[in-house]
Amino acid sequence: MLVRFWGTRGSLPVARPALAVQGKIARALVAASGRKFNDELEAHAWARNNLPFHTYGSYGGASSCVEIEGADGAFIVCDMGSGLREFGLDAARRCADGHPRVYHFFMSHLHWDHIMGFPFFGPAFDPGAEIVVHAGHPDAEQALRRQQEEISFPVPFDWLRARFTFITHQPGETFQAAGLTVSMIGQHHSHESYGYRFERDGRAVIYSTDSEHKLDNMESEKAFEHFFRDADLVICDTMYSLGDTVSLKQDWGHSSNVVAIDLCHAARAKRLALFHHEPTYSDRDIQHMHAESIRYEELVRADRPPLEVICAYDGLEVRV
Amino acid sequence: MDLRWQVSVESGRVVGVPAGRVDETTWEAFTGHLTAAVKEAAANGAPLVVDLSGLDYMSSRGLRALTIARREAGETVAITLAAPNARMREILAISRYDKLFKIADSVESDI
Repeated sequence: MLVRFWGTRGSLPVARPALAVQGKIARALVAASGRKFNDELEAHAWARNNLPFHTYGSYGGASSCVEIEGADGAFIVCDMGSGLREFGLDAARRCADGHPRVYHFFMSHLHWDHIMGFPFFGPAFDPGAEIVVHAGHPDAEQALRRQQEEISFPVPFDWLRARFTFITHQPGETFQAAGLTVSMIGQHHSHESYGYRFERDGRAVIYSTDSEHKLDNMESEKAFEHFFRDADLVICDTMYSLGDTVSLKQDWGHSSNVVAIDLCHAARAKRLALFHHEPTYSDRDIQHMHAESIRYEELVRADRPPLEVICAYDGLEVRV
Repeated sequence: MDLRWQVSVESGRVVGVPAGRVDETTWEAFTGHLTAAVKEAAANGAPLVVDLSGLDYMSSRGLRALTIARREAGETVAITLAAPNARMREILAISRYDKLFKIADSVESDI
């Protein structure tokens, strides 16, 4: 399976202002002081190897949207955040090259940041496209229709030309979709959220976002340890610090980097992708959080196998 | 690894001393000991010091148990974390628990 991140930001899409970009350029110029590059390729190569990611790159600002490639040829997409727009453009390009026009969506939940990309999803206007929306929520169709009502958007849902199917699944149910074995777990979040486990050929990818692991219900984490068991990649909501989740941001429906690492350790998962980044965080903040997460994993690893902690960014591809 | 726990009353304070590690296998025992220590401190009108010097490390389960203990303690019992080793200090900083709890360099320095 190939996992492709189209949107990794939580709650609200963000765009870096000019000052932030200018800061990156200034830092890069200072770091490269005295060097001469013959062309852009040479400059890229030097920057990639010598600058921190927060200077040479960016974690991006699109809200949740993750593609999983490698099943029966259909597109598999988790959530419809603002990253869905870019995915739609890329999917249209791939379809022009012969890719089947079949899309399976798996919805964590229906909050705005997870559905806001749908009105801009070009393939929804394709009469040859088939779109299947899998959700734990019976009101998934209502959520998509409502955000395209006239008060919010000029194009009503009924103008879309793709063939739509909405399927409501039950937590604990295992089902087949797009060539994958999929199971679903209920999560703690306002109006509920659901995590997904995708399996194929002995490999497993977990998508678990907008999931608060409550202080007064730690017993329930055994279910998540089982759900994450031996996963090759766990994509996990790590929006806040643990301290935040038990104080100011308690009941906001999100989790922390350290809880995600502990769950993955207990589950013997191989790789964790930090995901659903706090929108107020700069690229430097997110990279710092990533470094702290790697260090925490080392500090509490003990005799467990190492857990690789990566930090998702818009455009990242991870082969599983 | 097992979690060991001792408790004593020293200089008008209840001092709880966990040893070993607190993780997904030992957090429930740790929570039970902490809860009992909070009750003992409340009964004595004393603060509670958790002496971390014998603790190898504590994962998020143990940290969250500390938050539960503090909620149970309310305004009645002040809780201080004392003598964390270098690893525990890093864990407290990464989790931002160093902003939520008073951290003392040693049990004696909190008198």
